[in-house]
Amino acid sequence: MGVNLSKGQRVSLDKNMSMALVGLGWDTNKYDGGADFDLDASAFLLGANGKVRKDADFIFYGNLESSDGSVRHTGDNLTGEGDGDDEVLVINFSKVPADVQKIAITVTIYDAQVRGQNFGQVSNAYVRVARMANEGDMTGSEVLKFDLVEEFSIETALVVCEIYRNGNDWKFNAVGAGYQGGLEALCRSFGVNV
Amino acid sequence: MSVNLQKGQKVELKKSNGGALRRVMVGLGWDEVQQSRGFFAPKPQDIDCDASAFACINGRLADVSDVVYFGNLQHKSNAIKHMGDNLTGAGEGDDEQIMVDLASLPMNYDKIVFVVNIYQAMQRKQHFGLIRNAFIRICDAETNQELCKYNLSENYTNMTAMVFGELYRYNGSWKFNAIGQATQDNSVGDLAKRFA
Repeated sequence: MGVNLSKGQRVSLDKNMSMALVGLGWDTNKYDGGADFDLDASAFLLGANGKVRKDADFIFYGNLESSDGSVRHTGDNLTGEGDGDDEVLVINFSKVPADVQKIAITVTIYDAQVRGQNFGQVSNAYVRVARMANEGDMTGSEVLKFDLVEEFSIETALVVCEIYRNGNDWKFNAVGAGYQGGLEALCRSFGVNV
Repeated sequence: MSVNLQKGQKVELKKSNGGALRRVMVGLGWDEVQQSRGFFAPKPQDIDCDASAFACINGRLADVSDVVYFGNLQHKSNAIKHMGDNLTGAGEGDDEQIMVDLASLPMNYDKIVFVVNIYQAMQRKQHFGLIRNAFIRICDAETNQELCKYNLSENYTNMTAMVFGELYRYNGSWKFNAIGQATQDNSVGDLAKRFA
């Protein structure tokens, strides 16, 4: 079992962890009957100025892997059904370009406005980081977990966490910041042209 | 100041001076849509909505006695009291009210779910599409001050029951979550099964 973090907490990641699995999970439609809930995980590779270097640094369901292979999205889940991680990002630290200072991990609700959905209708949301033994290890051994359940209500976009360089190491920051305006608003703030 | 909630919104409930709430009144209201009827149409039948409260332990209903409804007006802890059944929804303001003594509710109850279902919806062919101005509001029962209100705004045609919202313990205080999720359950018993 890993460490449970609370909002705002920062921890160092083990230097010897070469590949990490960032798993995001959630439950929706507590009492069913509503429209499908489609949550999307994304990653933004950010330079020292807090912006993407180029649009391709935005990893999401429409661009599953960064050109350098450092961050990979394993695929879109349209319903959030089932236990465990709903969407997974894989980070290969050795491949992260030197001018990427920070990787922001976000979750947004697809088509939230039209469907009248927000994070108050989502339960058991979390992010976890697990050490991967090899490329195919999609369970990993859990290093840390951050539960987001009580932080949000009417937001449609979350910056869940940031993984950032600190000297030669990587650290994890449990950001837990909510925004309205969905993925588009996040893209704008990270400098992606949409 | 009372807060108007959106679907999904969560608020922490406190007294207006910031102190802990002791007792709350949960008011639920609805109006019937005026139907245009043909000359030989069947006689109009009142829509009888029933509000109920599910007192949950670890988020689930542990026992049938934890359902407070028109057939069991008072919870065994005496902390939840249904003020009585309204058969027509006529008139302004709350149609049904449920009093909750948060301070005396045993600690193992961590959530109270407030639901409304249409009595005999299937037999009477009634649904929430025939209802308008439905709301749930939470008042401080000691001052009668309204703390928050959630007006249902979606179209709930063909839905016969509604999970309005839930009061739950969080870090030693109480929060309210505006749920607004409709179901097609035909009775409070069917609705309760979802929480068992």
